[in-house]
Amino acid sequence: MNLFGMLELSGMALTAERLRAEVVTANMANLETTRTPQGGPYRRQLVVFRAHPAQAFPLMFASDFPEAARGVRVDRVLASPSPPVERFEPGHPDADKNGYVAFPAIDPVEETADLLGAVRAYELNASAVQASKAMLQQSLDLLR
Amino acid sequence: MANPIGASPTGNVAAALPQAPGRTSGAREWGFVETLRNAMDQAEQLQTGADAKVQGILEGEGMDVHTAMIAVEKADLSFQLMMQVRNKIVAAYQEISRMQF
Repeated sequence: MNLFGMLELSGMALTAERLRAEVVTANMANLETTRTPQGGPYRRQLVVFRAHPAQAFPLMFASDFPEAARGVRVDRVLASPSPPVERFEPGHPDADKNGYVAFPAIDPVEETADLLGAVRAYELNASAVQASKAMLQQSLDLLR
Repeated sequence: MANPIGASPTGNVAAALPQAPGRTSGAREWGFVETLRNAMDQAEQLQTGADAKVQGILEGEGMDVHTAMIAVEKADLSFQLMMQVRNKIVAAYQEISRMQF
């Protein structure tokens, strides 16, 4: 009985997209951050997704095509390799001897678009949840 | 004669017939009650899981909202399934109890 397989997969996708939105939000929040625990300015964080077998163990065997039914997980969150942007701000406490301050290389427009993408993807998977709910409901109505 | 009294011409037909399915000796009997109890057990398990997840949100344990919502949805659907199974069982019981002899 694979009643909840779709719900499980959508749930994993929703979790992944929520984490993506969280990382993008962190990028937006740290647009001007010049100090981090590792030293230097904040680095833009990127999310890497990985196809992942469905978490619930019985689900793997219940599915007719266990290979096809794959959920998604966030594989890792890595720092963008792009170098920080130097801006001339002599009064800044983090300015170097020439008066330049290293700021994170984050484009607000890019982050906004990325956040919108995450929100839309979340919406997409939420509608998949609705669809699987409707399917389950209909199969229950068969018994009426 | 080739047909002595007591041995019917049909002989041992009944013994040669395959056993009715579901009547094999030793196999576990599945009655109405077992079926209903199974459905109820599953529904209850999912209810408990959903309960824990909603509790997790309300107590601010960093639980994903959608995880809890999906758990609640699962519990709801399995409860509905249980109710449908129960309705069918009760209907079948009433059908039998109305039977005229």
